[in-house]
Order: sequence, then C-alpha cells, then structure tokens
Amino acid sequence: MRWSWAGVGLLARLVVGGVWLVAGVVKLPDPAGSVRSVRAYRLLPESVVPVVGHGLPVLEILVGLCLVLGVFVRAFAVLSAVMLAAFVTGIASAWARGLQIECGCFGSHGNAAANAQAAYPWDIARDVGLLLLSAWLVWRPRSPWAADNVLLPQRPAEATYDRTHEETREHGEEAVNGHP
Amino acid sequence: MAKKRSTATRRAESEAAATRAAAIRAEQERAERRRRTLVVAAVVVVVLAIVFAIGYAVQSSSDNSGTAGSTPGGTVGKYAVPAGPADAPTKIVVYEDFMCPFCGEFEKVTRSAVQGGIDAGTVQVQYHVLNFLDRSSTTRYSTRAASALGAVLDTSGPAVAKKFHDLLYEHQPQEGSAGLSDAQLLDFAVQAGASRSAVSSAISSQKYKNWVANVTDQASKDGVTGTPTVLINGKRASGQTTDQLAAEVESAIKG
Repeated sequence: MRWSWAGVGLLARLVVGGVWLVAGVVKLPDPAGSVRSVRAYRLLPESVVPVVGHGLPVLEILVGLCLVLGVFVRAFAVLSAVMLAAFVTGIASAWARGLQIECGCFGSHGNAAANAQAAYPWDIARDVGLLLLSAWLVWRPRSPWAADNVLLPQRPAEATYDRTHEETREHGEEAVNGHP
Repeated sequence: MAKKRSTATRRAESEAAATRAAAIRAEQERAERRRRTLVVAAVVVVVLAIVFAIGYAVQSSSDNSGTAGSTPGGTVGKYAVPAGPADAPTKIVVYEDFMCPFCGEFEKVTRSAVQGGIDAGTVQVQYHVLNFLDRSSTTRYSTRAASALGAVLDTSGPAVAKKFHDLLYEHQPQEGSAGLSDAQLLDFAVQAGASRSAVSSAISSQKYKNWVANVTDQASKDGVTGTPTVLINGKRASGQTTDQLAAEVESAIKG
C-alpha cells in the first residue's frame, strides 16, 4: 500500500511535469504562433494576448521542471491545476461557440482546423486527466526522488511520505519497523 | 489517605504537564508549518514573477510581428498581393501558406476558373501569403516563399507575381522537407518574368520577411485560424473541404 501510494505521486509528477515540459519547449521556437494560438480563442483582450502568448510557454517549462524534479511540489501542483482548469474552460468555450481552431496545446500547426470539433473532446479529456493527477499531488505532494525530501525535510513523526497522521499514531514505531 | 491523594495529584499533575507539553509541541509544529508554507509561497511567487518576466522579454524580442519592415510596392491594403483589375466586380480574398497542402489542392482545382476571371477582367483575387507553417519545413520555407512573392510583386508587378505564385504551388514541396531553395525561388521568379538582377538580392536576403510576419499577424487578428480561408465579396466562404471551397469560388466567378 505505502509503496504504491508513493509510486502514484512519483508517476503523477513525471507524467504531469513531462507533459508541461514538452508543451512549453515545443512552443518556444515560435513565439508568434503561440500568440496566434492564444488569440484564436477570442477570450482575452488584445492587450493581454501577446503577454500570455509569450509568457505561457516559459511558465509551462518552469512548472514542468519543478514537478519532474520534485521542487515545491504542492505549490506547483496547485499552479498546474489552475492552469489546466483554465485550459479546459477555454477549449470547452471554443467548442461551445463552434470555433474551428486547434487547441495550440503543443504549438500551432495550422492545418488541424478542419477537424477541430472532433479534437475538442480529446483535448478536454487529456487536460482533465492531468488536472486529476495535479489534484492528487496537491493532496499528497510527498513522493520518492523529489528535491522536496531534501529541501523540506519532514519531522520523524511524519517522515514517511505516504502516511497520514492517524495511521502514524495508531501503529506507532512498531508498524513502521514491521514493514520491510 | 494523604499519600493516596498525593499519588493521584501527582498523576494528575504529570498528565496535565504532558498534555500542556503536547499542546505546546503541537502549537510549535503548526507555527513551523505555517512559517514554512509562507516561505515556500513567497519563494514560488518571486520565482514565478522573475521567470515570467525574463521569458516574456526573450520571447517577445524574438517575435518580429508588429515590427515595421519594408512593404512591397503594389500591395492592396498593405497586406495583400492583387491579381486582376482593381475595378473587377467580384473580389476574392484568399489566405494561404505556400507550405499548406490544402492550399495547393485548392489552387490546383480553382486555377483555370480564377485565371479565366482575371483575364476577362471580372475577378480580382487578393492573396494574403502567411508564414504560420514555417515549422512544417526545415528552412522556414513559408516565410522565404512569401517574401520572394513580395519581391517579385515589388519589382515586376502583379501579373508576374501571379505567375510566380502559381509556379510555386505547381512545385509545392512536401511538408517536413527543406522546401525550395532560394536559388530555385529565384529561377521560378525569372521563369515567371522577373528580372534576375532585380529580385536576386531581395529573395536571398528575405527582404520582406517582416512584412510576411505582419501579414500573418493581421490575418490572425482578422480571425483567420487556418488556411485556405476564402472571402468572396467580403463574405467568408463556408465550405469545410477544398472541393466545397472551390465550388463556391467557381460559382462566384461564373456570376
């Protein structure tokens, strides 16, 4: 039980962080395209569009790096969840308004507009999945191979990343020692 | 009696002390957690602000949209390459990218009808050549080809530019390839009727690449999110497939 829970945290970090990293890196070489992708949603005022288009890819890389490396996992998982919730809202809104755009999630390609309506549900499903994994990390940010284990060491009473306070109190030292 | 009470009192006192100690410890732990949360939140916010600011600065400095550059002479409304007389009754606006395969298909299907309308003087086509598929080639072919079209229009006029435009679609490179080389672009320009010495340096230096970036940016601001996008007499063609688009264009030309 405890190892599988720790595994879930590690897996969630790698999956969510890895997706953010890729999404940010592929957008970097095409800042103008990133701005156009943001503008295509027709949700933000034109004065804000370039700021988001230029800043978002860098933010995505930062969130991705910190999750993969396990730095301040809970804080960045909160940010990840907020960004994903915003994306889901944006895609759902484009879908509802009948816009024929590609989500621009992994850079802009230009040709996908023709089958946009078919792509929206998959984009939303992917983002909701990532949102759930982010929520897990907000709830249980501790996992193995994370910089947090060094940066924010836990006191002995809560030293195992997978253990709730109640369990620790109930089973005490014996339970800790009783497990391999 | 006294001893017994004393034992009870001692036990009660030691229990009370233990409870107090636990409460103090718990309070200290809570304070420590609060302090840690605040520190982490502050660090994260500062890092976010710094990274966002640096990222925004770097990304916006490498985005040449909005930078004024040379605009080719002979454009319509600064951004379009015209073909056909300005007083033609039917105006067709086409947004396309030289790398876009559907644009190549659209050009092939509508070529003879469009050229017929232009020759008869009843149709003017305004081509907006975009670069948003720059990453579909290894050499930013979309920008190079569109900039070369600007150079041909500027030096040799719209009739030669239209021929050059058609030649580029007839020899459209595969997506993901290096595209046509600058030398090939120059050869097609000359084949269309441009003077080699007049367009050579403008093509190799991509003289109009900022113009192409601005054409693309303006198209995005006008709500164009894919190519080909076609406007017939100001009204957006509704066709979803190349064939539907072509049919709308052809029926507009026949009038």
